[in-house]
Amino acid sequence: MSTSVSWLSIVLFLPLAGAVALQLIPGKARVLIQGWTVAITLATSVIVGLLVLGFNNAAAGGGPLNMRYAENHEWIPAIGASYHVGMDGLAAWMLALNAGVFLLGAIVVSRRETERLRLFCGLLLVTETATAGVILAVDMLMFYVFWEAMLIPLYFLLSNFGEKNRGKATLKFVIYTVAGSLLMLVAIIYLKVHSPTNTFDLEAMLQNPGPAEGAVPFFGGHLLTPQQFAFIAFAAAFAIKLPLVPFHTWLPDLYESCPPAALMFFAGVVSKLGAFGFIRYAITLFPHEAHDYQGVMLTLAVISILYGALMALSETDIKRIVAYSSISHLGFVALGIFSLNSAGINGAIIQMVNHGIIIAGLFLVLGIIEQRTGTRDRHELAGLEKRMPYLYFFFLVITLAGLGMPGMNSFVGEFTIMLGAFQTYWLLAVLAGGGVILACWYMLRLHQGLMHEPLQPRAEQVRDIGVRDGWVLLPLVALMIGLGVYPHPVSDMTRTTAEHYVTLLSPIPVPVQIIQGDVK
Amino acid sequence: MTALLAAVPALQPPSSSDLVGLLPELILGGAFVALLMLDLVVPATKRTWLAGFSAVAILATMGSVLWAWNDAEHPRTVYYGSFAYDRFSLFIDGILLGSALLVVLISPQYLNRRGIHYGEYYSLILAATTGMMLLSGASSLMVIFLAVELLSIALYILSGFSRMEEGSQESALKYLLLGGFASAFLLYGMALIYGETGHTQLEQIAHAVANNSLQSNPIDPLLITGAVLMLIGFAFKVSAAPFHWWTPDVYQGAPTSVTTFMSVTTKVASFAALIRVFSYTLPGLYPQWSHLVFSVAILSMVVGNLAALSQNSVKRMLAYSGIAQAGYMLIGLAVNPATDGGAGTVAVLYYLAAYALTNLGAFAVITIMAGRGEDLDRYSSIRGLAFRRPWIAAAMGLLLLSLAGFPPTAGFFGKFLVFSSAIANGQTPLALWGIGTSAISVFYYLRVGVLMYTKPEAGDERYEWSRTTVSGGAVIAATTIGTLVFGVFVTVLYTIAVSAQHGLIPG
Repeated sequence: MSTSVSWLSIVLFLPLAGAVALQLIPGKARVLIQGWTVAITLATSVIVGLLVLGFNNAAAGGGPLNMRYAENHEWIPAIGASYHVGMDGLAAWMLALNAGVFLLGAIVVSRRETERLRLFCGLLLVTETATAGVILAVDMLMFYVFWEAMLIPLYFLLSNFGEKNRGKATLKFVIYTVAGSLLMLVAIIYLKVHSPTNTFDLEAMLQNPGPAEGAVPFFGGHLLTPQQFAFIAFAAAFAIKLPLVPFHTWLPDLYESCPPAALMFFAGVVSKLGAFGFIRYAITLFPHEAHDYQGVMLTLAVISILYGALMALSETDIKRIVAYSSISHLGFVALGIFSLNSAGINGAIIQMVNHGIIIAGLFLVLGIIEQRTGTRDRHELAGLEKRMPYLYFFFLVITLAGLGMPGMNSFVGEFTIMLGAFQTYWLLAVLAGGGVILACWYMLRLHQGLMHEPLQPRAEQVRDIGVRDGWVLLPLVALMIGLGVYPHPVSDMTRTTAEHYVTLLSPIPVPVQIIQGDVK
Repeated sequence: MTALLAAVPALQPPSSSDLVGLLPELILGGAFVALLMLDLVVPATKRTWLAGFSAVAILATMGSVLWAWNDAEHPRTVYYGSFAYDRFSLFIDGILLGSALLVVLISPQYLNRRGIHYGEYYSLILAATTGMMLLSGASSLMVIFLAVELLSIALYILSGFSRMEEGSQESALKYLLLGGFASAFLLYGMALIYGETGHTQLEQIAHAVANNSLQSNPIDPLLITGAVLMLIGFAFKVSAAPFHWWTPDVYQGAPTSVTTFMSVTTKVASFAALIRVFSYTLPGLYPQWSHLVFSVAILSMVVGNLAALSQNSVKRMLAYSGIAQAGYMLIGLAVNPATDGGAGTVAVLYYLAAYALTNLGAFAVITIMAGRGEDLDRYSSIRGLAFRRPWIAAAMGLLLLSLAGFPPTAGFFGKFLVFSSAIANGQTPLALWGIGTSAISVFYYLRVGVLMYTKPEAGDERYEWSRTTVSGGAVIAATTIGTLVFGVFVTVLYTIAVSAQHGLIPG
C-alpha cells in the first residue's frame, strides 16, 4: 500500500465523518441508518485489515517505536503538540480488534429494536474514532485528548440507552476514570516541560529521556522522585481503566447497566486500552520505576485474578459473572505486562486480542439469552440446550475458550503469560494458576447451569438464534479456534513487538529470548 | 486668582489619536445614549426592535475592534496615559462584545415570557458593556475606578430588573451593598498606592515601583497594603472565595438573562484589570501578592467545587462553579510574570474566552427554557429534558462537559494551559489542587447531565418548557460549536491570545 495516502488518518476519521453524515439520513429510515453504519465500520475494517497485512512490508519509521504508516503534522506548535499517528505491532493488533469489534457491534445493533437508532449508531461511530485515536496517537497530548474524549460518546451512550441504575453507574465510571486520567495529565505536562525537546512527542521523549531522576525539584520532592510520581500517575490512570483490584468497583455496575450492543465494544476494546497504555506509556517511559514497582503491580495483578474469579463464583446475575471474569482475565494481562520480559509482554498482547474476541462473543450470547428469556438470574435459567441447539454450540466454544482450554486462543495467551511470570516471581505465577482453575469452575458452572438441567419455565418458549446471529458469532468462534490451533500469524508479529518493547525497558539491550510465545 | 487660573492648562479638544484609541467605547457609549432616546418612541409591543438595534450597535463596535486590532500593532496610551490602546484590551473587548451580543439575542423571548420586557434593559446592558470595555483598557487608577462603578451600577439595576419579585429585589440589594463594600476596598487600595508612589497612571506607578521605592525600602508596607486591598476589591468582582458570598444569591435572584450576562462579563473584565495591575504594573511585588493569590485560588477551587456538590438548582450550581472557575483562572495569575514569558497571562486569556463561551451557553439553556413567570432551573424541573428537547439537552451536556474540562472542548484547553503554566513555573502544588478539585467537579456537572437523561416518571409534573426560538437555538448552536472548535483548532485562538499578551502595556 502506498505511503503517500494518509491511511491512518482515514482509519481514524472515517467513522467520525460517517457519524456526521449519518445525521443527514432521516431518523425513520432505519434500514438505511443500519446499512450506513455497517458500511462505514466495514470499510474501516477492510482498510485496517490491509494495513495489518502490509505491516511487515511497510517502511519503518526508525524512531524508538519503529512506527509504520506514520504521519506527523503540526497541531499546536506553540505548545509543542503535534498530530502524530503511527502503528507498531501493538497498535496493529489493537486496531484490528477495534475495527472488528465495532463492525460486529454495528451489525448487532441493527438486529435489535433500538429506539432512536440514529443516535445510537452515531455514538457508536464516534466511539470508534476515539478508541482508534488512543491506539494510534504517538503524541502524548493527542493521546490524552482521545483518552478523555472517549468518555463523551460513552457517557451519552450510557445515559441514553443504559438499563436500570445507569445514572449511578455512569457517574461512577466517569468519575473514576477522570480522577485517574487527570493525574496522568499532570504527569504528561511535567514530562513535556522537563523534556529536552519540550514537545509532547512520545518518540522524541523516548529518544531523549528527561533529566536524571530527582534532578528537578517537584512537589517538595520528599516522598517520591518526580519520575516515581509520574509513573504512579500513569499507572493509576491505566489501572482504573483496566481495571485492577482495588480500582475495579465501577466495572460490574457499568457492565450490568450497559446496553447489550454497546457492551460488545465496551468490554471488547475500551477496557483493553488500559493494558495498551501500560505497555505503550507506563513501562516504556519509566523503565526504572517499572522495575521498582514490579512487585506491587504483580501482586495487584494476582489479587485481581483471584478476587475476580471468586466474585464470579459468588454472583448469580450472568452479566455480573462475566464482568468479574473479565477482571480476572485482565489481571492475567497485567501479570504478563509486569513480568517485564518478552514472554510476558508477548502473552499480554496476544491475550488482549483474545480476550477482546471472547468477551465480545460471551456478551453477545448472554445478550441473546437475556433478550429471549427476559432474565439474567442464573437460577431462573436452565435447559436452554433443548430449545437453542445452535446457541448451545456457540456458547460451548466460547466457554471453553474463556476458561483457557488448550487448543483455544486464550490458552496460547495465558500460557505465554505464565511462562513470563515464572521467570520473574514463580510464586505469583503459581497463585495466578489458581485463577485458571477457578475460571474452569465458574465458566463450566455457568454453561452447565444455563444449558443442561431440566427445562425451566422461563426457557419454555424461547427461539433459537437466527441466521444473522450465526453470522456474527461464526467469525468470532472461528477466530477462537483458529488462533488457538494456529497462532503463528499473530504471535510472530507480537513477539517481535514484545521483544522491541523489552529493549526499550532496559538501558542495556537484552539478548533476544529463546522462549517462543506460541504453542503448537 | 489669575495665577491659579494660569496654572490650569487650557481645555483642549481631544486629539484624533485619543479619539481613535477610544473608538469602540465611544460607539457603544453612543449607542447606549441613543437607545435611551429610542425607547421613548418605540411602542411597547415592538421592543424587540430595541434588541435588534443593540445587536447592530454591538456588531458595529465589534467591527471597530477588529479594525483597531490591526491598528494597535504598536500599542500606545491615550488621554495622557490613562487608557491603554493595546491588543490585550481589544482581545478582552472581543470576548465582552461577543457575550453581550449573544445575551441580547436570547433576551427578548425571556423578558416577554417573564413579563419584564422594558427598553431600559438593553441600554443598561450596553452601559455595563461599555464600562467593562473601559475597565479592560484602563491604565489609570481613576479610570479603573470609574469603569468599575459604571459597570457595577448598571448591573445593580439589572439584577433587580424583575422588580415585582422578592428574589430579584433581594439580589439587587445584596449586590449593591456588597458591591459597594468591594468598591470601598478598591478605592482605599488605590489611595494608598497613590500616596506611596504619587501617581495614578499605571505606567508611572510601574516605573516608580521598579526604580525608587523598592531599592530604598524593599518591603513598603503601605504599597503592599494598597495592593492587597485592591486585590480584595477585584476578588469580590470575580467572585473568588472568601469574597464570594454574594454570588449564589445574586445569580439566583437576578433574571436568568442578566445572570448569563454578568456571570461571564464581570469576570472577564475584572481579570483583565487584575492582570494589568498585578502582573504588569506590580511584578516587582510578586513575592508579596502571589501568596494572597495562591491562597485565594486554592480556597476558591475548594469552596466552589464542594459547595456546588450539594446544590439543587442549576443557577446556583453554576454560580458555585463560577467561583471554582475563578480559582482556576487565578492559578494563571499566580505564575510569576517575570519568569514565565507570559505563559500565565496567555493561559488566563484562553481560559476566559473558553469560559465565556461555555458558561454563557449553559446559562443560555436555562434562559431559553424558562417557564412562564418562573425560571425552571431546579434539578427536579430539568429531569427528562432529553426526551422532549434532545438537541438542547445534548448541547447542555456538551457545555457541561466543557465546564468540567473534558477534551476535545475549549474548557479542556483552558485548564490545560493554566495547569501547564503552573507546572512549568514551579507552581505544581497549585496544579495538583486544580486537578483534585476538577475531579470533584465532574460529579456535579454530570449529575445535571444524568438528570436530563433520566426518564420522567408517570407522576412527574410536566413543565412548560419554553419553545426554542430561532435566535435562542442559534445562540446555543454557536456556543456549542464554538466550544468544540476552540477545543480542536486550538492554534487560532492561542495565537491571538499570545499576540494580545505581547501587546500588553505597561509591560
